[in-house]
Amino acid sequence: MASKKEIKFEIVTPEKTLMKEPVLQVTVPTESGEITVLPEHAPLVSILKPGVLEVVKTDNTLEVIAVAGGFVEVLLNKIVILADSADRASEIDEEEAEKARKRAEESLKNLRSEDRERFAEITAQLERELAKSRSVKRWRNLNRHIK
Amino acid sequence: MANTKEIQRRIKSISSTKKITKAMEMVAAAKMRRTTEAVLRTRPYANLSWVTVLNLAKAVNSNGTIHLLLSERKDIKKVAIVLFSSNRGLCGGFNSAIMAKARNSIIKHNNLPTDFIVIGKKGLAVNSRYKYNVSAQFEKNDTASEIKEVQALAKMMIDDFLNKKYDKVLVAYTDFVNPAKQVPRVKQILPIDVNAEDDHLGIVGKDEKLGVDKEFVKEKQDKYLSKGEEKFLMTYEPSAEEVLNQMLPRLIEVQLFQALLESNASEHSARMSAMNKATEAASDLVKELTLFYNKARQASITAEIAEISAGANALE
Repeated sequence: MASKKEIKFEIVTPEKTLMKEPVLQVTVPTESGEITVLPEHAPLVSILKPGVLEVVKTDNTLEVIAVAGGFVEVLLNKIVILADSADRASEIDEEEAEKARKRAEESLKNLRSEDRERFAEITAQLERELAKSRSVKRWRNLNRHIK
Repeated sequence: MANTKEIQRRIKSISSTKKITKAMEMVAAAKMRRTTEAVLRTRPYANLSWVTVLNLAKAVNSNGTIHLLLSERKDIKKVAIVLFSSNRGLCGGFNSAIMAKARNSIIKHNNLPTDFIVIGKKGLAVNSRYKYNVSAQFEKNDTASEIKEVQALAKMMIDDFLNKKYDKVLVAYTDFVNPAKQVPRVKQILPIDVNAEDDHLGIVGKDEKLGVDKEFVKEKQDKYLSKGEEKFLMTYEPSAEEVLNQMLPRLIEVQLFQALLESNASEHSARMSAMNKATEAASDLVKELTLFYNKARQASITAEIAEISAGANALE
């Protein structure tokens, strides 16, 4: 196979830089739908939705990352993801994530309806945890195929 | 001459103080290492988001209206200063330096009515010492590493700014240049000043080793946003305004977070050097007292011998 085109990729959160390397393609969950960015994509800035981010690395392996909102910026052949938080699916403890999700659901149920701010907060948390659980499942599925 | 028991007691007490200062120095050194790492890890995000906002602001400005968080107010009635201080003392001039800096900047701005929002316990001295009004005080974690810790603060400042409670928000923090040098700084965070290109938190005045990123901002603009003369048109989804609406609050959070981390790193290194000096001073004192002690001991032995020989002489 001819050598594929690459695009620079960088994903940072306020706390750390998670990944910084050239990749083949990235699939990003944005507010207006999921988009896949290939090399030479037109410059774009968009808002991220909590969800699952998929990166095809140069050795054709897939990296699955759970993100919790933020921004994606596509520059001339460079993708920058400014995420509120990001975790590699391979590093997420599935049981922990599941428990956290249940906890968030539980507190959502127990919430009094007047408390709007708290509601928004917990919903956001729930979405984050959901994204984590989903990314782990996706990651497992992928690995099953390989085996 | 002071009696030997007394001196011995003092030597003992100073040695145990020395042990404590030594231990504090070591703890501070460990915390400093952790906090400096945290500062460095935050910097890429701060820089990247700043550059994005710069470009965004230009894009939106061309439509005519200026975003509320970006627009400078002509008539400034009240200013807020977010002051980052330490929770505990024993860190040299750390707290007094930042307070003096904040005070100077108020005087420079014609003593406009100013409210302080204090982070950490020691900053409350702006009220007791300088009689400035403190409108809120936040607790802080000595080795903060999560942005959550400043989110409430950021939200409060943005709300107060938008509600016209304050017309300008400044942040007073201590910039960590290197372990031996910390510089108190006062910076404007609201309204966001897009014209002060390299004057935002996290880029300015950094030691080379810690990664000066001033070039990075330019590089990004040159390399990624314009190819020669041709400028690339950015697409914004859903719209530039919407992106800006979401991004500006994040930027403020990140800047406050950065200020917090810088201050923490500075605090621990200030404490480390203060404790280092204290340990040295204790060593000197012990040395001196030991000399005294030996002299006193010798003097008493001499006196004793003199007495004995005098007694022997008397018997002959």
